[in-house]
Amino acid sequence: MACPHLEYRESDGDRAFDTARAFCTVADEFVQPVHADICNERYGLDPESDCEIFREHAGLDWDE
Amino acid sequence: MTYEEYLDGKPVVITAALTGGIQGKEAHPDLPETPTEIAEAAAAVEEAGAAVVHLHARRDNGERAFSTERFQEVTDAVRDATEDVIVQHSTGGTAAPDALRAEPLRTDPAPEMASLDMGPMNRGRRLTSENTRDTINGLHTEMRERGIKPELEVFNNGHLNEAFRIFDDLDEPPYLNLIFGPGTLAPPSPANLQRMVDQLPASGEFNVIGFGPHQLPLTTQSLILGGHVRVGLEDNSYLRKGELATNEALVARAVRIANELGRPIASPAQARDMLGVESRR
Repeated sequence: MACPHLEYRESDGDRAFDTARAFCTVADEFVQPVHADICNERYGLDPESDCEIFREHAGLDWDE
Repeated sequence: MTYEEYLDGKPVVITAALTGGIQGKEAHPDLPETPTEIAEAAAAVEEAGAAVVHLHARRDNGERAFSTERFQEVTDAVRDATEDVIVQHSTGGTAAPDALRAEPLRTDPAPEMASLDMGPMNRGRRLTSENTRDTINGLHTEMRERGIKPELEVFNNGHLNEAFRIFDDLDEPPYLNLIFGPGTLAPPSPANLQRMVDQLPASGEFNVIGFGPHQLPLTTQSLILGGHVRVGLEDNSYLRKGELATNEALVARAVRIANELGRPIASPAQARDMLGVESRR
């Protein structure tokens, strides 16, 4: 599984890469490699509980 | 590891942290990610004066990789591209399970050095690099079995307790890396660096990392205190405000400052002697 807001893109219009990279469609920017592990739900990480961008977009409070 | 050793002109070991495990080309277009790019950067920093290269591995898309196979690709490329630089693998890995954290130790040959985190560090709101005592013990045991020199990563003052806990199991000299920056790292200030150095045993050697704008002043202070320095894009993207750095430019600046301060630059062979590192070149 992966975050529904994750896409892999080679370009954001300003920059281009040889290999498609993790891109957050909510933040409209490429994400840090360490954050891509949250997007991809690796190592027990989960966007719904661990991603500030996901939670803010979904209107979730941190105590929920 | 003292001011007196600075006055005596003790050589300084410069470590270059080329890539790191946090940011990628989205943050710095020249951050080396592929084995070829990392090898080219390693050759450049060795030429500039680095004795040690600190390595992380990445997938082709820049994302973190921990597998022995990917580290083997990176370390093979680095060894082919460099003359004698000491290869140090990271065992760090926020959120990654312990089994993966040990994989960088299992290349052939084993890395001459490896990082060993001494405790937890927070990243953002929810991410924590836990580094439990069991994790530390497990990685350290495997390092001892494979003859790998550990560099003890001291993220803050409390981690000195953890470092002292395993001192009796370390070969001489213990080698500690004092790390200053935001969040749960040691608060970056000259006074705090001095306080931490004051608590170190005389028999050890220490290295200093300052994140971002703290890299230049705190590594310079380390030179005066008889310590060693780590620079590179893992810790700092900028040469000065608004000007992106390269790994070799950061090493060249450290060399220039050390020379001004009368600290000769340790060759890789000298660094092995000073730090008790077994050569695998």
